[in-house]
Amino acid sequence: MTKFRLAAPFMVAVLALSACTGDSGSSGDGGGGDADVPEGDGSIVVTSLWGGAEEEAFTAVLTAFTESTGIEAEYEANRTDYATVLRTRITGGEPPDVAIIPGIGTLRSLARDGSLISISELGLDQSSFEGNYAPGILDVGVVDDELYGIMVKLNSKATMWYSPERFTELGVEPATDFEGLLQLTEDIKDAGATPWSLGAGDSWTLTDFFEVAYLKMHGPEAYDTLFSPEGDWTDETVQATIDKMTELYTDDNVDGGIDGAIATLFVDGISKVFSTSPSAELYYEGGFVGGIATGADVNPDLAGQEGEAIDWFDFPTIDGNGEGLVTYGGDVMAALVADTDVAAFMEYLTTAEAGQVWAAGGTIISPIVDVDTSVYPTVLIQKEAEQVTSAEAVRFDGSDLLPGTDLGAVLQSAIRGDDMGPILEEFQTLTAAAWESE
Amino acid sequence: MTAANPPATGSGTDDAKRPGGGFPWAALIFLGPAGLLLLAFLAFPTVYTIFLSFNRGRGGEFSNWVGFDNWVRLFTQDPNFLRLGFPPSGALINNLLWIVFYVSLTVLLGLILAVMATRVRYEALIKGIVFLPQAIAATSLAIIWRFVYSPDPNTGLMNAILGIGNVGPVSLLGNPDTVTWALIAVGIWGSVGFATVILSAAIKGISSEVLEAARVDGATETQIFWRIIVPMVSLPISVVAVTLIVNVIKLFDIIFVMTAGGPGASSRVIAFSMYQEAFPQGQFGYGAAIAVVMLLLLVPVMIFNIRRFRAEAVQS
Repeated sequence: MTKFRLAAPFMVAVLALSACTGDSGSSGDGGGGDADVPEGDGSIVVTSLWGGAEEEAFTAVLTAFTESTGIEAEYEANRTDYATVLRTRITGGEPPDVAIIPGIGTLRSLARDGSLISISELGLDQSSFEGNYAPGILDVGVVDDELYGIMVKLNSKATMWYSPERFTELGVEPATDFEGLLQLTEDIKDAGATPWSLGAGDSWTLTDFFEVAYLKMHGPEAYDTLFSPEGDWTDETVQATIDKMTELYTDDNVDGGIDGAIATLFVDGISKVFSTSPSAELYYEGGFVGGIATGADVNPDLAGQEGEAIDWFDFPTIDGNGEGLVTYGGDVMAALVADTDVAAFMEYLTTAEAGQVWAAGGTIISPIVDVDTSVYPTVLIQKEAEQVTSAEAVRFDGSDLLPGTDLGAVLQSAIRGDDMGPILEEFQTLTAAAWESE
Repeated sequence: MTAANPPATGSGTDDAKRPGGGFPWAALIFLGPAGLLLLAFLAFPTVYTIFLSFNRGRGGEFSNWVGFDNWVRLFTQDPNFLRLGFPPSGALINNLLWIVFYVSLTVLLGLILAVMATRVRYEALIKGIVFLPQAIAATSLAIIWRFVYSPDPNTGLMNAILGIGNVGPVSLLGNPDTVTWALIAVGIWGSVGFATVILSAAIKGISSEVLEAARVDGATETQIFWRIIVPMVSLPISVVAVTLIVNVIKLFDIIFVMTAGGPGASSRVIAFSMYQEAFPQGQFGYGAAIAVVMLLLLVPVMIFNIRRFRAEAVQS
């Protein structure tokens, strides 16, 4: 005991010292202006969670960057627990030069932690590349009036996937409005098949559905409010949207029932519709489903049969509303190290040249307006790019904007048929507190 | 904890031998390196974490002090950690369920298996099979069981078996009411071997005269089990139980791999909440508060352990 009593003041002293150094260390650099940005060492490291075809498409962009600038660019994939690995590298003092960050909540929190270098601190002029993007796209990466993240790729999240061949066999056709979708669901059941596959084990599949349905039902303004600090989750519009969702996703309509769906992951959900032994006919998720369904994880035989064995139709209008409204998901890149190499890379990725190379890989839609849709390699992606570019209004994935509260869990409760009143009230309290503490 | 004992016993014997009352240089030299390591890698992080729990902890460092905010939020505004009401739920409650059911069932099953195994000729085989899960890394074990529980009867052993009896596929991991129990079952499956082996060794240590004497006195086998065997192996039982309690308060891997705390947050435990809040969400101060809760839960277990070691030392 005496030993401990002696040690205690010493420990506190060590603690206080380390606290001081920690503080001064994190606020050292920055300042803005070209002159402040130190010369790079000729190579950069970029991290992201992409693997497979997505990784190939992105490394093609890195190769093009190296050819054009002479700066070596290395890609590092962290397939799982991306935010954890990134934060660990940052706290350990070894951040990657550039990170592709999925989730704007993560971007905001890293920016406020002081871990990110803003575009102006990199010596880049936002107005020089602003014109390359559709209005509103760059706003997603703004934190406290500073641009930190630049949207590099996106995917529509207003796509309903199906197999045209099997629809013909069943004698059914895609729907254009929600009533039609419910009728289609009944018709598929009458034809002896199971209508829906649902990968609700990855609960973001539910949030994506909720978001596009909410946007279509209540319009862009209500959508913007809901996913901002002013949002009210106890509002009746939320319950109305959930009602639509639970009307469609029922034990009878979903393969394996609701409990089964909640234990099914996103990719397994795709397999249920597009594997060699399918057990359901319809799958709602974003444009990236096409690449996965025709890839090694699901059914490579489908590649080349786009438009015949695999296709999608627009998320239907609801009660006559929502024509031309599209939600999209996307990733932003942000700099974690301030040097000229990083600045050059960020700038390169805003060019149509980079967008063109990336788009040709067939896994993404480029947010850059000058990218020619003819470079997209499959009809499915071309159609997706057209859906997004011709949309009346596009809105970013709302749950990615939330400050880390779990909308997916709320929606899992919803499809299980729980009483949503208290759950939404609780979610409202949690979300308001989380916005507050960001 | 173990380091606290040597200086106490050391100084006790030294008093007799040491010439005069001079400074114990020898003790310092021998204990110094270990003490420094403990200080750097145990005491310092502990104190750091406690302080951090009163801070926002941006980037894992001290950014701005928030007083008791983290603590108030943890116990009153975070239903994922503690939701009072009937029945109460949240990570803390889940962890209590784990402590009560996982620990007691593991010990009980271990004891039964140990007693039964000593009575058959193929004892080694039985113990080998029961001990096998101990040789599997917890991560692999969790993956195996995720397959077993899969709602798809083509993948999931459990639903394939239920399917024979025409019971529709059930999804234990997809239902918040069953998920924690399904996970506790996995935990028990993974730890029964450990309990069996230790308790079996203890039972073999009971001298056959005692058991024979009981039998001569007309005790039934059930009486022998409860009145003779259980009391005589009570110390090994408490060793096993304490080890399991400590492990289960720190439990993380099975949850992380099998459900990631889901569905929703229904299968979270304390350690998982700590990870989730601190790392992916970047709220290091809040995560630190959860870590301190974990520490506070471990303290009574440790005190119990130390007391028992002291009692043992006195007895011997």
